[in-house]
Amino acid sequence: MNSNETKSNFKSDPPPVGAVMVVGGGIGGIQSSLDLANSGFRVYLVEEDSAIGGRMAQLDKTFPTNDCSMCIISPKLVEVGRHNNIEILSYASVDGIEGEAGNFRVTVKQKPRFIELDKCTGCGDCAKVCPVEVANEFDADLINRRAVYKRYPQAIPNAFAIDKLGISPCKAHCPAGIHVQGYVALIGQKKFKEALALIRKNNPLPAICGRACTHPCEGACTRNQVEDPIAIMSLKRFVADWGYAQEELDLPPIDEKREEKVAIVGAGPAGLSAAFYLALAGYQVAIFEALPEPGGMMMWGIPEYRLPREVLKKDIEYIQRLGVEIKTNTPLGPELSLDDLFNQGFKAIFLSVGAKKSVKLGIEGEDSEGVIHGLDYLRAINAGKEIPLGDQVAVIGGGNVAIDVVRTAIRRGSKNAFIIYRRSREEMPALEEEVIEAEEEGVKIHYLVAPKRILNRDGKVIGIELLRMELGEPDASGRRRPIPIEGSEFIVEVDSVVPAIGQSTDLSFLPKEKGWNISQGGTLEVDPVTYATGIPGVFAGGDMVTGPATVVEAVGAGREAAISIARYLQGIDLSEGREGKLPVVEVTPEGVAKNPRHSPAKLDVQERIRDFREVQQGFSEEVAVAEAQRCLNCGICSECLQCVEACLAHAVNHEMVEKHLTLSVGSIVLSPGFDVTDPLLREEYGYGHYPNVITSLEFERILSATGPYQGHIRRPSDLSDPERVAWIQCVGSRDESHGKDYCSSVCCMYATKEAIIAREHNSTIKPTIFFIDIRAHGKGFDQYYERARDVYHVRYIRCQISKIVEKPRSKNLLIAYIDETGKVVEEEFDLVVLSVGISPSKTSRQLAENLEIELNSYGFCQTDPLTPMQTSRPGIYVCGAFQSPKDIPETISQASGAAAFASEILSKSRGSLVCQEVFPPERDVQGEEPRIGVFVCHCGINIGGVVDVPAVKEYAQTLPHVVYVDENLYTCSQDTQAKMKEVITEKQLNRIVVASCSPRTHEPLFQATIREAGLNKYLFEMANIRDQCSWVHMDRKEEATRKAKDLVRMAVAKAQFLEPLKEQELTITKRALVVGGGASGMVAALGLASQGFEVFLVEKEKELGGNLRNLYYTIHGNEVQEYLRSLLEKVQNHPSIQVILDAVIVDFTGFKGNFKTGIMSGPAMAYRQIEHGVSIIATGGEEYKPEEYLYGQDERIMTQQELEGKIFRQEINPGIVDEVVMIQCVGSRIPERPYCSRVCCSTAIKNALKIKEKNPHANVFILYRDIRSYGLLEDYYARARKAGVIFVRYDLTNKPEVTQGKEGLAVSVYDPALREKITLHPQLLVLSSAIIPRENNELASLMKLQRTSDSFFLEAHMKLRPVDFATEGMYLCGLAHSPKPLDESISQAAAAVSRACTLLSHDTITVGGVVARVDEEKCSACLTCVRVCPYDVPFIDEKGVAQIDSARCQGCGSCASECPGKAIQLQHFKDEEIIAKATALLKKEAA
Amino acid sequence: MKVSFYPGCSLEGTAREYGESIEQVCETLGIEIEEIPGWNCCGASSAHCMDEFLSVALPARNLFLAERVEQDLVTPCAACFNRLKTAEKSLTGASKMDVGIPVQGKSKVLHILEFLTQEGVVETIEKHVKSPLRNLKVVSYYGCLIVRPPRITDAKHWEDPQALDRLIAQLGGESVFWPYKTECCGGSLVLTNVDIFRRLTGRLLDMAKDAEADCIVTCCPLCQTNLDTRQQEIGSAVGITYDLPIFYFTELMGLAFGLQAAGKWFRRHLVDPIPLLRSKNLI
Repeated sequence: MNSNETKSNFKSDPPPVGAVMVVGGGIGGIQSSLDLANSGFRVYLVEEDSAIGGRMAQLDKTFPTNDCSMCIISPKLVEVGRHNNIEILSYASVDGIEGEAGNFRVTVKQKPRFIELDKCTGCGDCAKVCPVEVANEFDADLINRRAVYKRYPQAIPNAFAIDKLGISPCKAHCPAGIHVQGYVALIGQKKFKEALALIRKNNPLPAICGRACTHPCEGACTRNQVEDPIAIMSLKRFVADWGYAQEELDLPPIDEKREEKVAIVGAGPAGLSAAFYLALAGYQVAIFEALPEPGGMMMWGIPEYRLPREVLKKDIEYIQRLGVEIKTNTPLGPELSLDDLFNQGFKAIFLSVGAKKSVKLGIEGEDSEGVIHGLDYLRAINAGKEIPLGDQVAVIGGGNVAIDVVRTAIRRGSKNAFIIYRRSREEMPALEEEVIEAEEEGVKIHYLVAPKRILNRDGKVIGIELLRMELGEPDASGRRRPIPIEGSEFIVEVDSVVPAIGQSTDLSFLPKEKGWNISQGGTLEVDPVTYATGIPGVFAGGDMVTGPATVVEAVGAGREAAISIARYLQGIDLSEGREGKLPVVEVTPEGVAKNPRHSPAKLDVQERIRDFREVQQGFSEEVAVAEAQRCLNCGICSECLQCVEACLAHAVNHEMVEKHLTLSVGSIVLSPGFDVTDPLLREEYGYGHYPNVITSLEFERILSATGPYQGHIRRPSDLSDPERVAWIQCVGSRDESHGKDYCSSVCCMYATKEAIIAREHNSTIKPTIFFIDIRAHGKGFDQYYERARDVYHVRYIRCQISKIVEKPRSKNLLIAYIDETGKVVEEEFDLVVLSVGISPSKTSRQLAENLEIELNSYGFCQTDPLTPMQTSRPGIYVCGAFQSPKDIPETISQASGAAAFASEILSKSRGSLVCQEVFPPERDVQGEEPRIGVFVCHCGINIGGVVDVPAVKEYAQTLPHVVYVDENLYTCSQDTQAKMKEVITEKQLNRIVVASCSPRTHEPLFQATIREAGLNKYLFEMANIRDQCSWVHMDRKEEATRKAKDLVRMAVAKAQFLEPLKEQELTITKRALVVGGGASGMVAALGLASQGFEVFLVEKEKELGGNLRNLYYTIHGNEVQEYLRSLLEKVQNHPSIQVILDAVIVDFTGFKGNFKTGIMSGPAMAYRQIEHGVSIIATGGEEYKPEEYLYGQDERIMTQQELEGKIFRQEINPGIVDEVVMIQCVGSRIPERPYCSRVCCSTAIKNALKIKEKNPHANVFILYRDIRSYGLLEDYYARARKAGVIFVRYDLTNKPEVTQGKEGLAVSVYDPALREKITLHPQLLVLSSAIIPRENNELASLMKLQRTSDSFFLEAHMKLRPVDFATEGMYLCGLAHSPKPLDESISQAAAAVSRACTLLSHDTITVGGVVARVDEEKCSACLTCVRVCPYDVPFIDEKGVAQIDSARCQGCGSCASECPGKAIQLQHFKDEEIIAKATALLKKEAA
Repeated sequence: MKVSFYPGCSLEGTAREYGESIEQVCETLGIEIEEIPGWNCCGASSAHCMDEFLSVALPARNLFLAERVEQDLVTPCAACFNRLKTAEKSLTGASKMDVGIPVQGKSKVLHILEFLTQEGVVETIEKHVKSPLRNLKVVSYYGCLIVRPPRITDAKHWEDPQALDRLIAQLGGESVFWPYKTECCGGSLVLTNVDIFRRLTGRLLDMAKDAEADCIVTCCPLCQTNLDTRQQEIGSAVGITYDLPIFYFTELMGLAFGLQAAGKWFRRHLVDPIPLLRSKNLI
C-alpha cells in the first residue's frame, strides 16, 4: 500500500480521527461501513435518499447465482441498521470539506424528513391517509406512492419520510396561511370533512371566504403557467357549504379549558378569527361590537348577492358555538374604556374595529343632497334602509366598493348607474371577475376620467363635471399616475353621486395618554409578527392596522394575534419561532397537459339584477372533485396534516428544517453509485412514446415480487402477458454520439439474467437479446450465458438495432435486424427492454466539486489503475460504479479495499471512537416449561403468495408448548424485530421459532434479536418455508401449505428441547499469513502491515513478484516493472513483514484467530511453524501454454505475454513487422475450459496498439469471438479501431486454421461480415491464451479450501463475499480467485486486508456453541471420531477418552453421527432434538 | 425582424403554395423576409453526387450573398438547407475547404421550421391563432434532411424532432406521435427506382393511417410533392385508396391564423384537403 509516507506525516501531529465518512448507502457503502465499523472505527454513512440499499435493493435477482437480490442484501441492511458504530445520515449530502487526511471536518446538509426517526415505528398508517400520489421512483415510476412513504418494505432506517419540497405558492400567498394545497388534495380524495377541518386550522370563516375573498392564492397558482389556476375559492365554498349541510356539525377539539378572559373589540373578520382561535385554546372570549349585528365589513359592506346573510350567520354561529360571547351595540368609548375591560377581569384585549370612515373626494359640491359615500350607502342598504339614488348614478372609484355600489344601485332600480375611474382598466384594483359581472349587468365604466366638481341646484345634485386624464409615471403604489388633461372638462347629468374612493380608520376612541403608535395614514401601528401594541396585554389587527384591506388578511391577523395573546397569557416569548423557515416552491410545469378550469355557474343576468340573490352558484361534488384534481401538487406534500392525526406515535413533524452538521472524520469513502443512463438519449427507440418499451430497471421491478405487478410479467400498455420479449443492448453504452463511449460492464449479464428469470416466471416467454458483443467476462458468467442460450432457449442476435416502430393499434413493436445470412428481417415483439447503461449518479458531480476531487471526462471518479481506490485528494477513497461501471462483487471488493485504505491511515486511532455493544444479562430459562413463540413470515409474496400463511399461523397455535404465534410481512424488517423483542418479554417466551427463509442468511439476525431480548441465542429454531417450500412448490399451493405446517411442527418439536449454550472467548493471534508473493500477495501483506499487524509472506518461488515479472506495461500506460520495484522495496523494508521464499506449506491446523501453519523453506527445506490469526490466499495464476495453433512448433507463434516481453526487450521490432494476427480465446471459452479469461481482449488491444504506435502501417488482425473490453477499457478498443487494427470475428464452430507453408504462416478464418473465408499471412501469430490458476490442489486439500470446477478458489458467496472463503479467517484475492487485470487484483488484495482487519482488530473471538461434546462415561476410545473428523480435531487424552477442542470443532457433526457408543452429541443438534423433529414429521397433521 | 430568404427552385413551381403561405404567415408575425438577390441553385439533386467542388461552391455563393447583407439565412427546403449547412461546415470547419468564395460563417443558416419555432418567435404564434385547428389529428413528417446528419444540421433531436409537433399543438391541432417522423420517403429515387420509392412512401402513408391521423404535415417541398402526388399510383399498385391530405406546416399556420388566402393554397394540392377541413369545421 502506498501510504507509509502518508502515515509518517502524523508523527508529530495529533492522532488522526478514528472515524470515517462513507458517502452513499448502496451495497458498496454498506460493505465499507460494515468493514470499517467491524474493525474499530466509527462510521457516518451519508445517504441522499430516505433509506440505504441503493440500486441493489431495486434488483430482482442477481447473476450468476440467481439469488434474490433483496434477500441477500436485507441481512446487511439490518446489520448496518443495528450496528452501534454506524450512524446513518439519511436524506443527507456532503456540502463541504476542510482539513486534510486524518483530520477532515465535513459539513453535511440533511434535508428534513418531517418524521422523527426515533419515534417512527414504520407502521405505515400515515401513508394510508395521505392524499397525494407521486410516482414511485423505487418502482422505476411504474406505479405511484404517497407523498409520505417508505422507500421499500425492508428499508433501513425503517421509517417513513415525507416528500415535501417546501411551501406551495398558494399557501405562501394566502394572508391567512391556509394549507391550500392540502385541502384541495383532500377534496380531490372526497375527504370533505377533513378538508374543511384543515381550512379551519387557519380560517374560521370558510363559507365567507369561499365567496368574498380576493384569493391571492389563485394568482400564485402554478397552473397559471399552463392555463388557468385551480378554482380555489370555489372549492373552499364547496366544502364549507357541504359542511353546513351535514346534520352533525363537527366542532374542533378545544384545548384544556383556561380561566383567563380575553376581550375582543369589533366583530369583524379579525375579531371573529381571534375569538375562534382563543376559544380553541381554551380561553373565555367576549367580543364587544358597536353595531347591532356582528360581521363588520362583511355584514355592512359586502352586498348580499355576493355574500348571503345566512352564510355569514353560519360562519359566525359556528364560532359562537365554541362559547364565544358577542355583545352587540356595545361600542368602546366613554361608557366602556379599555381600563374598564381590564377591570372587568379581562386579561388581554384584541382591538379590531376596522376602517369604516369614508374618505372624502374633497371637491366642490360634495355636500349636496344626492351625494352619499359608498360605504355609507352599502351600510344603509344592508341595514334594510331605502336610499333612492335616481336613474342616473355616478359612482366614483375603481375598487371593489365602487363595483358593489354600482351593482347594488342597479338592483335597486337605477336605470343607468356607471363608474367614473381616473386610471385605466389595468390599474383598477377591483377584482377582475367582479368587474366582468358588473359589465354583464350593464354597468359602463368610464376610464381616465376624474370628477372636478358636483353640480347642484337647490342643494340637490343635478350633474357632475368631469375631467379627462392621461397616465404618467408610476406613483408610490406602482400604478401609473393619472394626469389631468387641460381643458377636457365636460358635464354629465346625474341624479346622485356615490364617491367610493376608500376608507380610513377612526381611532378617536383610543385613550390618548397611553402612548399608541399612530401611522401617518392614521392607522394603529403594531408589531408585524405578534400584533402587539405598545400597551401590555393589548393587541390589534385588521383594517385598523393595515388600512382597508381584505377579509382574509384580517382573518390571518386575528389568528396570529390569538397565538400572541395565548403566549402572552402563558408567559411565553411572543415572537420566538414564528418566522417561516421552509422555502416557497417554484415549479416550472413541464409536459403538463392542459385541463381547463371549471367555473362555477352564475345566475342569468336578467334574473340576477332584479334582486339580491347570490350570483355565483356553488360546485357540485363531482365538479369540485374534478377541479381539485387539477392541482399539480407543487410542494409534493400538501400539508393536509392527515398524517399528523393518523400517527399514533406522534412522529410526524411538519416544522422540521434542513440541518447542517459538521463532522470530524479521518478519511472518506465515496460510493455514490450510479444512475441508469437516460433512455431518451436514444430517441429512435421511442421510450416514453411507446408504453411497451421499458428500461431494464423497470423490468427488474416488474420481475420483482414486491414490484408494481407483484412479480407477474405484464407489459404496461394493456397489462397482458407478453410472449415475445426483446432486449436491446448498449442503450447509452458504447455510444460515442451521445458521449457514452464506455461499456457499462453489467448489461449483457443482467439482460441474460432477466431473460432467464422471465422464462422461469413464464415459460411461454420467448426472449431475444440483440447485442454487439456478449460481455460475460466475470467468474462463472460464460457458463451462465451458455446455459441461457442452450437450456433457457434465449435467442441471441448479433445486431445493433437502429429503430423501434410501434404498431399503433396493438402497441406491439417492430424491430428490423440483419440475420446471420445478411438478410434484413422485421420481427414483431410484445415488449422491448432497453438495456440501459450506467452513468455517474446525478449528484456525484456536485459531490466531487464539494470535496474537490477530480472526475474523468465521463464524470466517473478519476483514479490510477495502480491505486484504483485513491481519488485525487489524499484521504478520500472511492469504490463501486462511481469509479467505473462495474457489478456487485467488484463493487464489494473495491468497497472493502477502500475501507482498508481509509482505515490504514487511521490505524493509530483504531477503537478510539467506538462504543461496545452491551447486551442485557441472559435470562435463566433452565427449569422453565417451554413457552414457544412462533413467527411465520410472508416474505412479501415469496412465501405468502404460495403458502397460506394465516392457516400456518392458526395451525401453529395448536402445537404443544406454543403460547404465541404471529405472522409478518417481513419478519426480518427492523420494526418486526423490535416487535419480536417486545413480545418475548411480554409473553415470557423462552424458545423462539421463525418460519421464514434460510438460516444461512437470517439465523444470525434473529439470534441477535432474541439475545437482545435476554434469551440465549441458541433458544432459537428456524423452519425454512421459503427456499425449501414455497420456492420449490410454486404451483402446488395446497401441498406447500401442508408442507409448511409440517416444517413448523418439526421446528416446534425440536424447540421444546433447545438448551442455552455457553460460548467461550479466545485470544486472537494478531498475525497474518499471506500465501503467494505476486502483486496481490504483496499488496495484501503491505496493507496488513501498515494496519499494524505482523505478516508472514510465503512465496513458492525464489523471488517475489509473480506475474508482475512478466508484465511490462498496462493498457493505461503504467510501467509495471517500476511498480514491481517499488512494491518489492516496500515489502522487503517493512519491519512487520517477514518474507519466506522458496517455501511450501506442509501442514495447517487451527481456526479463525488461531491458525498454525507448517512451512518448509529454502534449499534445505527447513521446517517452521507459524501461528497466525488470518490467512490470505493469493497463489495467483499463469498464462496457459497453448497446445493449439501450432504453438511451440514455430518461433513466429507466441503468446501475448511472450510478445510483450519480446517487444519490451527489443527482441521484436514492431517497426519492421507488416502483418500480425492475434487469435483470441485460445484455451478459453471452450468445453474443456469454459470460462472467459477476462484479460485477453484488453491485452491483445494493448499489444496491437503498441505495434501500431511503433508502426502505423502494420496490419494487425485480431480474430475474436466477442471483444470484452468492459468498462472504460472500451476507450482502448475504440482507439484500436481508429488506429486501424482490424477485428475479424470467428465462431467456435469455425475456428481459425493455422498452417505452416512455404510462404510462411497462413491463418485462414471465416469472416462472417464478408461471409467468406479469408487467409492471412502474418509474420507474427500471437495467441491470446487463457489464464489458468497455479497448481493449488495440494494447498486446497491441506487448508480444506473449496475450488471451482476450473480449479480457481471458490469464495463464500459469489456476489456478496467475493474475498472471503467459507472457512472463517481465510480470504482470497487476485488470480487465485479468477482471471483479472492488475487493477482489479490490487482492489481485491486491499479488500482481503479489510476483511482480515475485521478479525485482527479484535483481541478475542468467541467460540463454542454448536460443537461436539464427549460423554466420557460412554467413550470407549474406539478412535472412530478421530478417524472421521475432517478437521482432525478429536484426540484420545491421557485419561484414555476422546477430547474435542470446542475452539477448533467446526460443528459438522460427523463424529456425533459415527460414534458407535453414542458418546458424542453435537450441541443444538442433540439426538433428542433430532428425534423429536423426525417424530413430528411422521406424526401427520391432525386435520 | 428581418432575415434573408433563400427560396430554392421548387417554390417557383410545385411548391408555390408553400412560398405564398410562408410569405403571409411571416407577414402576420411581423417578420420581414428578404429574398437574397441573385441566388443560384443550391447544388442538391445532381451537383452533390457528381462534383464535390460544385456541391460546396454553389451553396457557398448563396451564403456569401447572405453575409453581404449581414442577416441570417432562412430556407424552406430541406435539401437546400442541407446543402447550405454542408457548405457552411466545409468552409468554416476544422478542415477549411477553399472554393474561392470568402464565406466567414457570419450568417446563421436556418430552416424555416427552425426559424419560426426558435425562441423569440415561437411565443408570438399562439397570439395570432384565430381559428384553432380543433380535432385535426396531424402526424408531423420532418423527413431526413433537416435533421440528419446532426453534425451538419446541428439538430439536437435528430431521432425524435419535436418542433413541428409542438407547433401543431400551439395551433390547436392534435399532434399524433408516430415512428416515421424522419423516415426516408425515397424521394431521391422517385424517378430512378420507383419500386423502392413506392414501398417507402407507401409505408409512410400506411403508418399515418394506422396512427389514425387525418393528414400529414411537412416542411419540405420535396416531401410534400412525393407524398401528395403519388398516392393514387402507390395505392392502385396495392389496391388501397389513399386520400391523406399533405400540408405544408405554414399552410396550417395560415389556416389557424384565419388567413383568407389559405383556401387558394389548398386548391393546388392533388389530394384535396377541403373535404377534410370541412368535416372538421375548419373552413
